[in-house]
Amino acid sequence: MISFQNVSFSYPDSERPAIQNINLEVAPGTLALVIGESGSGKSTLLRCVNGLVPHFSGGSLQGNVRVNGLDPVQATPKVMSRHVGFIFQDPEAQFVVDRVEDEIAFALENFALPAEEIRMRVAEVLDLLSLKALRYRRLETLSGGERQRVAMATALVMRPEVLVLDEPTSQLDPKSAHDVLETLVRLNRTLDLTVLLAEHRIERVLPFADQLIALNVKGNGGISGPPRQVFAQTDITPPVVTLGKELGWQPLPMTVEEGRKFIPDIESRTPKSETIPTPVSQKVAPYLQIHDLEVHYGNQIILDGVNLDLQQGEILVLMGPNGAGKTTLLRTIVGLLQPAKGKVIAGGVDISNKRMDEICRAVGYLPQDPNALLFANSALEELMITLRNHAGKMDAAGEQEADRTARALLERLGLINQADDYPRDLSVGQRQRVALGAITVTKPKTLLLDEPTRGLDYGAKQSLAQLLRGWRDEGMAILLVTHDVELAAEIADRAAILKQGKISSCGDTSRVMRSSVRFTPQIARLFPDTDWLTAQDALIGIRQIFS
Amino acid sequence: MTKRFSTSRLLSFLTYGVTTSMGLILLIYPFLFPAITQKSTLGQARLTEMPLLLTLLLALCLVVLLYEVQGQAVDTKLIALLGILVAINSALRFMEVAIPGPAGFSPIFFLIILTGYVFGGRFGFLLGVLTIFVSAIVTGGVGPWLPSQMFAAGWVGMSAPLCRPLVNKLDGEGKISEVIILAVFGALWGLGYGVVMNLWTWPFIAGPADQYWQAGISWVETLQRYGAYYLITSLAWDFIRAAGNFLLILLLGSPTLIALRRFKHRFTFTYRSSYSQGSKLDQKGDTT
Amino acid sequence: MIHTWAWIGWLISALVALSITRNPLYLFLILLCIALVGWTQERRLSSESSQTQNLLPFSPFKFVLVIITLSALFNAVISHFGETVLFSLPEWLPFLGGPITLEALAFGAINGLVLGGIFAAFTVLNLALPVRSLVRLIPRAYYPVAVITSIAITFIPNATRQFQHIREAQAIRGHRVRGLRGWLPLIMPLLVGGLERALGLAEAMTARGFASSEGGNQTSQTRLGMVLGLLMLFGGWLLRLIEGGQLLGIGLMILGITLIAAMLWSIGRSVPRTNYNQEIWRFRDFLVLIGSMVVISAFLLPIPWIDQSTLHYNPYPILNLPGFDPLIGAATMGLLIPIFIIKPK
Repeated sequence: MISFQNVSFSYPDSERPAIQNINLEVAPGTLALVIGESGSGKSTLLRCVNGLVPHFSGGSLQGNVRVNGLDPVQATPKVMSRHVGFIFQDPEAQFVVDRVEDEIAFALENFALPAEEIRMRVAEVLDLLSLKALRYRRLETLSGGERQRVAMATALVMRPEVLVLDEPTSQLDPKSAHDVLETLVRLNRTLDLTVLLAEHRIERVLPFADQLIALNVKGNGGISGPPRQVFAQTDITPPVVTLGKELGWQPLPMTVEEGRKFIPDIESRTPKSETIPTPVSQKVAPYLQIHDLEVHYGNQIILDGVNLDLQQGEILVLMGPNGAGKTTLLRTIVGLLQPAKGKVIAGGVDISNKRMDEICRAVGYLPQDPNALLFANSALEELMITLRNHAGKMDAAGEQEADRTARALLERLGLINQADDYPRDLSVGQRQRVALGAITVTKPKTLLLDEPTRGLDYGAKQSLAQLLRGWRDEGMAILLVTHDVELAAEIADRAAILKQGKISSCGDTSRVMRSSVRFTPQIARLFPDTDWLTAQDALIGIRQIFS
Repeated sequence: MTKRFSTSRLLSFLTYGVTTSMGLILLIYPFLFPAITQKSTLGQARLTEMPLLLTLLLALCLVVLLYEVQGQAVDTKLIALLGILVAINSALRFMEVAIPGPAGFSPIFFLIILTGYVFGGRFGFLLGVLTIFVSAIVTGGVGPWLPSQMFAAGWVGMSAPLCRPLVNKLDGEGKISEVIILAVFGALWGLGYGVVMNLWTWPFIAGPADQYWQAGISWVETLQRYGAYYLITSLAWDFIRAAGNFLLILLLGSPTLIALRRFKHRFTFTYRSSYSQGSKLDQKGDTT
Repeated sequence: MIHTWAWIGWLISALVALSITRNPLYLFLILLCIALVGWTQERRLSSESSQTQNLLPFSPFKFVLVIITLSALFNAVISHFGETVLFSLPEWLPFLGGPITLEALAFGAINGLVLGGIFAAFTVLNLALPVRSLVRLIPRAYYPVAVITSIAITFIPNATRQFQHIREAQAIRGHRVRGLRGWLPLIMPLLVGGLERALGLAEAMTARGFASSEGGNQTSQTRLGMVLGLLMLFGGWLLRLIEGGQLLGIGLMILGITLIAAMLWSIGRSVPRTNYNQEIWRFRDFLVLIGSMVVISAFLLPIPWIDQSTLHYNPYPILNLPGFDPLIGAATMGLLIPIFIIKPK
């Protein structure tokens, strides 16, 4: 169905090719998963399939691409749109009309199909994607997951043979992401649709993937083949696979269920309850105290008596289902929302009624969308602006001092070489670190982060985790709201779960994360009777047992 | 090829010329009118329909001009860009909270002038016309005032590249002089927009009285009365609008110009394939 | 409920009536009809209140009253004609000095009635037609414009939300809006974010097969036709003002409009596009249209048994009672037909 022969491509004004020497074959009806760090050319590869590269991007393409016998370059994206459906990352930025039904019909109207046929196809697709209930809804009233399903409908209504998806779930919460991926697998199975999917949440799709395409592995262009074969040669692997590789399990397990086969002999020899309590001293008074916080929205109660303490030098991970009030809690702490009841104490001072800029010197808050912060012409300037916001007018000496502070922080963020770059041109991970810099340049003692791993790849997550750990070790109190179970498992000193406006459990990470299946990492599911959470924990534990 | 090209240029020129001069004549018509009527034997009924007829003619001018502009300045990228910018501009127009300005102040001209200047007059024209149109249909503000408002806002955008020669002469691109020229331009249009809107409302407000009841009335007197009307109803607001445009461009113009220029190439680039029988492709970028 | 084009017909008939007559009795009657239709429409909308579209932020009735009052006062201080002098402003006041007359007040009030009527008629239209219908009115020849409009309407709620996020994000880094310069951190992320989004959207549209360059290509003929149509229209309009040129002028104007319409039609045909969600024209839409026709005929056509001289009225030089033809009054009721179709639930 899809074949690439020696395909290389470079963007205009770029020295380095975005993809190089790619060779692959995808058979009809295959679900192929594309993995690779950001910058490895995933998006470029996908865009070659429908001719967006090079028609939309410009640049020079070498080699041969064939999709269902067609050459996308010669055929142009317009023709390819009838063979290849394309779903983008951002569920907000793909729509032209404001109603679900009209949006689905838009492309067909452009192709001037007869009205009768359009009606039929729209009805069919609504049915296929279970969107009937949303037919007359306005797009702005839909959730992210629903939007991505509508986006799929807009693609499928063209009756393509291939569906290409560029990280369709990276902006979604786990529930919506699950819905989208489940729908995708169903389409692949029932319609025999060929699917090419780039995705960070590898573990979710892995059970269904027939083929894995890994890009930019150890300097090579890319490798393609059955998942087991490809994973043997790459580093980006879900925890179970990582563990399996380390312990030499054969055949390599792709899922927790497959991994269980290797467990019995370990399980019996695992010492129980030999857990070391989290090293948080309970004697020190907590730095941030949240007392009985209540927030209303209209006559809806969003937060219903939340109590939470945050020590200096710890990372507390807050998880919870969608709409539980996690973001509301963070916004209330920094004074963006007024609580109906309760108070917030930071460093012994009640900050509930302080001015926002005063609060923010004590409590840094990184909102979900870091792009909302960035507007300056360089990363350095971005940090300087925050300093000027707080200092008012600065004299020359003050400016110099501020410049030093900002540069030191950029160094720490690993951005010193990007100090003069335009922040909006940086990668998602780098943009986020610039935003983090703009928030923390005033050296707040507490940091709140809202879903910081949204859209980040594996490498960017690792460097974020490292950064946060460093700050924690210097005594910063960090409250991290996330859906990312694996990151939480790796980084949390303590964990809490917020449900329907209340803290339902709080304390030891391992205990809290095991209390609900939804928040349990792979390794904890694999070893339910231990307190291991990450592949690293398991490796250390197992080595202890066997040594 | 060259011949077709020149006919096309000629037609463009003709359309711009005819629509713009017709628009102007329609607006200042009430002052020319007494001179013409004295020689005519028009009944009263004819005259009362005048304001709406003027509006209709203005609307048709706009329709013809819009057709001309739309065909020349638009591809998928620019359509998407215009859609988004129109939305942002309309949203700015609604956001009362965000605009703690005095009456008469409107933030919409800022983007219309700057994008017209950077992306070209046609782009500015479309942004101006469609900003007014979209915000009117979204807020339920459709009315006979639309054609003249759209026309005026379109003119603002279309004329923005007129600053270019002056900027070039001073070699001011990227310098403060460029921003000052644009700010002054914005201030002038702040007043100009008010004049256009007043000219349009004048026949509605004044009614047909002075045109037919007293045959001897001169255009000087009409002008005087218009002056009084202008003084009372709008000079203060126009002045605020002009000052608002001036300050917005002066203070925010430079970073906005940098941002627009940063993106300009990505939007105006078009891919031309020199593709033949599966051979190698060349890169062709081209800025229009 | 009522077809968009039937509403447009209704609007045109109201506008024609309002601009033909200056008889305050007829004007008042027209305004009353419009107000009744508007009132029914508003009741209906508020009964299905889940749709909070287009409900007006202020009362149009108060607004019309204000227009009439202001217009009367304005005319009284600007024109000093008329014989019934109420009092005088000192002569040294530039423009404004002079006698204030009852006639000038009345004349201004009539102006206000016309203005208020036009305003009210459009308000009813805005209430009656959802945004979607208005976008659909854009002729197919303006397909790119229609797409831009549609994108903008889709993106506006998002832009507003985005703006809120930006305000919050800037506030938490210590930003406070102090003067116009304080706008920079709010506008720039909105603008740059918009530019980025526009690129993403363009890419998504391309992937879905949208290519605007096809269809609707301008040809020299259509472009020339449009300009010629406009010139004919303009020429006709000027000719009409000259003695004896009236009939020729009107003919030329009609020819010009026809030419432009024909051009738009032929361009529209060359844009290959289906409109699959078309409105259905029902019997009741005919009724609305017939009502509108009745109004237009009574005010415009030379019908022998209607006394059209009562349409004209002039308060100068001395205030007199306007005439009234019951037939014209009855015909005006044609504007009321939508009331019987929009039944409030």
